Amino acid sequence: MEPKFTEMYQKEPAGEMDGACGQVADLLDSMVDGEATAEEQRFFNSHIEECVNCFENHQKQKLLKGLISGHLKRVIVPESLAQTIKAKIQETI
Amino acid sequence: MSEQTGKQLSKEEKDARFEAELLPVLDPLYNFAYRLTLDEDDANDLVQETYLKAYRFFDYFEQGTNAKAWLFRILKNSFINEFRKKSKQPAKVDYSEVEGYYNTEDVEGDNGVATTTDMRTESVQDLIGDEVASALNTLPVDFRTVIILCDLEGFTYEEMAKILDIPIGTVRSRLHRARNSLKEKLEKYARTMGYNS
Ligand SMILES: [Zn+2]
Repeated sequence: MEPKFTEMYQKEPAGEMDGACGQVADLLDSMVDGEATAEEQRFFNSHIEECVNCFENHQKQKLLKGLISGHLKRVIVPESLAQTIKAKIQETI
Repeated sequence: MSEQTGKQLSKEEKDARFEAELLPVLDPLYNFAYRLTLDEDDANDLVQETYLKAYRFFDYFEQGTNAKAWLFRILKNSFINEFRKKSKQPAKVDYSEVEGYYNTEDVEGDNGVATTTDMRTESVQDLIGDEVASALNTLPVDFRTVIILCDLEGFTYEEMAKILDIPIGTVRSRLHRARNSLKEKLEKYARTMGYNS
């Protein structure tokens, strides 16, 4: 990915690809969330190989998702909570 | 109390099943509650309420189906229907309250991170985590919710639609807007993380 990225970086933004870029933008979430169909994936991947803007947007979207999944701290469940729940349930008929 | 157990499970059997199938979800459920309420005591109350409701309706839970999604749905409904009203600090989930948060100058994190190249060191990771949490907490609760469900808990769009009682198209558009909003808040941060190649 790396060398290709730098190489593409030097290309002019493709103005005539607005329609395709729009479609690709609409697919960004589905792509990073693994919800895109096989056909959507093919379209998306072939487009970002040619379009540096969309390639970059895809990188950003992946980064954003990774920030949440990889860096958001999980809070620690209070030790007593499970016991409290069990006790309350015991009391329930 | 006038519950009837539809199937003839003894209370012992029911309790054992309940604990085995639903209590393992405690950790993600508490985390979800905390991200909604932004308060540990409130999260605690909300989780307890959720489990008690789940127990009351346990006969309607089909064994082997998605216990996690089922509990998340109950918790989300409790939060909306009851909890939010009686919460001692409802303003905490109000967007207007926190909207200005990120406009204030970033005083601590920025220098430390910008000058550090190894993003894997623990102290830096903490800074990023704090930054992400702060940004996330400033989002309206509906936006925060879809991001947590999707990115932290890994629910599918379809599961999210069921948890939130909204069409899948709404899940998509809400997630899209939520991410755009979060992206804006984290933009400065993202720039320090690898677009300088
Ligand atoms: Zn494009």
